[in-house]
Amino acid sequence: MRLVRFANSNARSLSPAFGYSSRSPWTGLEDQIDQLFDSALSGFVTGSSRTQFPVDLYEDKENTYVRAELPGISRDDVSVEMIEGYLTITAVRKETAGDGEESVSFSRSISIPEDVHSDKVAAAYQDGVLTVTLPKREEVKPKKINIQVK
Amino acid sequence: MSLFNSLIPSFGRVVAGSANGHSPDTGPSVKPAYEVKETDEAFGLTVYLPGVSKDGLDITAESDQLRIAGRRAWKQPEGWTALYRESPAVPFELVLNHDNAIQLEKIHAELRDGVLRLSIPKSEAIKPRKIAVN
Repeated sequence: MRLVRFANSNARSLSPAFGYSSRSPWTGLEDQIDQLFDSALSGFVTGSSRTQFPVDLYEDKENTYVRAELPGISRDDVSVEMIEGYLTITAVRKETAGDGEESVSFSRSISIPEDVHSDKVAAAYQDGVLTVTLPKREEVKPKKINIQVK
Repeated sequence: MSLFNSLIPSFGRVVAGSANGHSPDTGPSVKPAYEVKETDEAFGLTVYLPGVSKDGLDITAESDQLRIAGRRAWKQPEGWTALYRESPAVPFELVLNHDNAIQLEKIHAELRDGVLRLSIPKSEAIKPRKIAVN
């Protein structure tokens, strides 16, 4: 059995997230159970939830955009690669903890829905968010095609 | 929860207090990932707040509670269609209850690349002390 950590645990909470002036009887219990799972599982869970980060995919007429939430990464430790229609983002977060250095690595591959100009892909990192801009290829940009009906 | 903490010490990650994420009037919010580390002198709190810059950050320290609120500065530009979203569009909020064994005036905070690091000095009363034996 694998326990999947949801990005938005508020959605399935038994106590409403807003509009509530007194604490629901479930609030304390839920918080404690969340903490229990967090501390118990942080040692066991490898792969998915520890090395994943949320991504958002957007597009406009010219480009496809990928925004990834990667707080605390320095620019040298992040690499963005475009291979065969998949964008792979790899990042390493290094923490100097006293005498030792710990590093956590993140990696995620996202399939890009449109054809892109691989050589013109640009990426910017600000406030912990990496934004990758992928320009669409000419043929894919929406163009009006007039069809004559005979 | 303090019963758990005393039975299984490794669960006592939050030593000075417990974490409760509900404040009644600020609307929907999401709790950010955070870590608390302890040294003899101070507590180190690291909160991951991607997309939050100094203007959107609000830290309130009270005698029983430490509240961190962060607003994401980014607005989706006109013309962008969202194809797939994983990050929630709501502000971050983290509320930590503590038992006032810390020096609130000396809290030092730094926000860089979406990571907020707080250094919270312990009050003298709870710093570990060496006792000399005659």
